[in-house]
Amino acid sequence: MTVLELSSVEYSYRRNAALRGVSLQVQAGEVVAVTGASGCGKSTLLHCAAGILTPDAGSVQVAGQDLATLPEDERSRLRRTKVGVVLQFGQLVPDLPLIDNVALPLLLDGHERAEAHEAALEWLKQVGVADEADAVPAELSGGQAQRAAVARALVTGPSVVLADEPTGSLDSRAGQELLEVLLRASRYRGAALVVVTHDNLVAASADREIRLRDGVIQHEVAL
Amino acid sequence: MATAELVLGLLSRDPAHGYDVKRGHDAWFPDGRPLAFGQVYTTLGRLERDGLVEVVDKTSGGGPDRTVYALTDKGRKHLADWLSDPVPPAWGSADEVLRKLVAAIRTGGDAAAFLARQRASHLRRIRELRETPTEDDPTSPLVREYIVAHLDADLRWLDSALEHLSEQKETRP
Repeated sequence: MTVLELSSVEYSYRRNAALRGVSLQVQAGEVVAVTGASGCGKSTLLHCAAGILTPDAGSVQVAGQDLATLPEDERSRLRRTKVGVVLQFGQLVPDLPLIDNVALPLLLDGHERAEAHEAALEWLKQVGVADEADAVPAELSGGQAQRAAVARALVTGPSVVLADEPTGSLDSRAGQELLEVLLRASRYRGAALVVVTHDNLVAASADREIRLRDGVIQHEVAL
Repeated sequence: MATAELVLGLLSRDPAHGYDVKRGHDAWFPDGRPLAFGQVYTTLGRLERDGLVEVVDKTSGGGPDRTVYALTDKGRKHLADWLSDPVPPAWGSADEVLRKLVAAIRTGGDAAAFLARQRASHLRRIRELRETPTEDDPTSPLVREYIVAHLDADLRWLDSALEHLSEQKETRP
């Protein structure tokens, strides 16, 4: 089953074309690595897939629904519930304890506070930082913060997790541990994982590699 | 190749015959290339000639002849000297990749496709190495990490080679 489909996606920053007609399909449970040199368009691709950027041309479908054709409130809900996002620096809310950071997507989706906290604590356990549930992000190591970001990405039960250089801010050991947590958590949930990375050791964990160059797919190989 | 020194190392604890030396070598490097039997016996013969090992037992019963070798004092000193010297930086496993890449370019083959296949092959090997549990001994994880780090270095070289080829293609008149 296809959980994410990009068709002929184009995106430009002013006059610089970052994506020049990229198409890809991601199947349920699949792990896809998007690689390529800096500036090749891989982060732009992920941001278009996540609905953070709107393509200039082409379409993005998540769980069979075209993001461009949905009304704003439905699009937001789809992005919140079907797509989990992990960025390089976690992007946790600085003033909120971890448990609230992780519960936030559920609270925004209208879930009861107690239910949201219970689910958040369960995911914090899954990623190994339940002991830090009451700490605010500034009290955590980079690796712990990224683990919490993984928990937040998965707490709504998404069909696909999109991760942009998730290990990029960590040293090699913490990066390896985070990668294992991300893979395990995605598999546990049955979510597909699309990971943008310049790290070959991260790409080696994927089922498929898509390599971009100058905004187009240079090659695509099954691993 | 430091096969001779590895054989000395394999004999440093107890005398052994050639078959045990081969098995010991392959157990030391479970993810590496197995040591060929022919190379074991050639190496032992050369080490004996040079006085670094000696024959301490030779049995011939119902089965095949078996020669047991042991380290000499000279061999033990040679091994200690070798272990104390750092390894000079040298080409590693990328040698063959470079040969094939150059051959592909020189013969007009699809070098970019070769690099993409080689890249996938390296990535698969890294995943295999990381997913297979290492032996429960003090050195297997170190050997594994060493191989992964070198494959990662090869990959970075493959990436730059691919980039180089793409740029050449774009600027070619």
